[in-house]
Amino acid sequence: MNWTLVFTENNLRRLLIGDWPKALGGVALTVELSLIGIVLATLLGFLVGYLRFAGPRPVRWAAGGYVELLRNIPLLVLIFWAYFAPPYFGLEPTKFSSVLVAIVLFNAAYIAEVVRSGLLSVPAGQIEAARAMGMSSLQLALYVMLPVAAYNTIPAMTGRYITLLKGTSLAFLIGLSEVTEIGRQINNRLLTAPVEVYATLLAIYFCLNRSLSAGMRLFEDRRRFNRIFCFWAPR
Amino acid sequence: MYQFDWSILWGEGGRLLLDGALVTLELAALSLVLALVLGFLFGVLRWSQIGPLKPLCWFYVEFLRNTPPLVQILFWYFSATVILPAGLILVLRDYGFQFVAVVFALGLYHSGFVAEIVRGGLNAIPRGQYEAAEAIGFGFFQSVRYVLLPQLLRIIAPSLVNESVSLIKNTSLALAIGVADITYQARYIDYASFRGVEALTAVTLFYLVVCTTIAAVGHLLQRRLSRHRRTAA
Repeated sequence: MNWTLVFTENNLRRLLIGDWPKALGGVALTVELSLIGIVLATLLGFLVGYLRFAGPRPVRWAAGGYVELLRNIPLLVLIFWAYFAPPYFGLEPTKFSSVLVAIVLFNAAYIAEVVRSGLLSVPAGQIEAARAMGMSSLQLALYVMLPVAAYNTIPAMTGRYITLLKGTSLAFLIGLSEVTEIGRQINNRLLTAPVEVYATLLAIYFCLNRSLSAGMRLFEDRRRFNRIFCFWAPR
Repeated sequence: MYQFDWSILWGEGGRLLLDGALVTLELAALSLVLALVLGFLFGVLRWSQIGPLKPLCWFYVEFLRNTPPLVQILFWYFSATVILPAGLILVLRDYGFQFVAVVFALGLYHSGFVAEIVRGGLNAIPRGQYEAAEAIGFGFFQSVRYVLLPQLLRIIAPSLVNESVSLIKNTSLALAIGVADITYQARYIDYASFRGVEALTAVTLFYLVVCTTIAAVGHLLQRRLSRHRRTAA
């Protein structure tokens, strides 16, 4: 074992921030990609999930088709679509935007299913109570269905976000310099310490994902959750 | 506007894709077996709560589930030459070193998920069931065969089918270390003939057909398994 070869100041800096300020990379880029991906995939997932649950019939079918299509092809194939196909049609997407689009579309399909099952699990009594109070459909959705469903989906969402973060590692296959790509570059230069380099990468991802689950656990406090994500609902 | 030329999918390109499809299915089948064996083992161990094994099982499951399968593949592939004895490496070379590395890495990765599914299933069986089995004089193997397994399989079958679909999709990562699976062949066709869109379409359809078929079989299985389900009510 030769950890001193791996843990030089230069290597650690590259693993953390890549070649910043020239180009952001490493852990920072992985985190950036993951966070933007999580936000966009969640928004799209809620939209698709809600439409699949309550839209008019053709919209429901379309949303269902989207979910089944995207869940049954590998993320890597989607990334290849997003990166290698557009040039054939005269478009030049950046590596970052290609990966982001693929990750968002892919994970939104799973999140839509999570949201739909959350909506299905809202107790009938609460819906009837809201109706009895004279709420409109919009009020019912905004004040009852979505807040209750969203809170109930936290554990499933945590699992999905972890998968999303793990999926950002595929970006290195098209050469985006996130942390796996930096690790590969370091390994290629050293050639003598693959165990150390890749164990470091595994440890980095492990820490990132454990932090992510710890962060999600903060929202299991229902009052905090409602204050942040359902600020429009009267309390 | 791009001119499609689907003829690339017949002849040479089609043969490459077919070869790749076979490699993908082989990878999936072998790593699924490994994942199920290791997953059941560690699931039972985690469920049993044997004191000294607890931290080990926790670490096994959490570490495998919280790190990317791609990095795990790279780790095992590049570390194998350092960790394994030279003689064994020579033997593995004959079987396709990269192929073995992917099977091992993916089998291990998914065994972490299978272990959690098995543990959840075992926890879902009410304690009264074991007590009842003991009360009517069943031995260990009879309890497992007639009480535990039928209920366990019924509970975990849908999750295991989902996990298999996820495993098949993850075999596409094999191209990272140069295993010529179907995704790799699509990239190769793109390099060789600039017909990437057609090749990617074929590959996408392949995964769609395989994955939806398995999901549909799983759905049927679930219906069949729950048909005999009887409760007090």
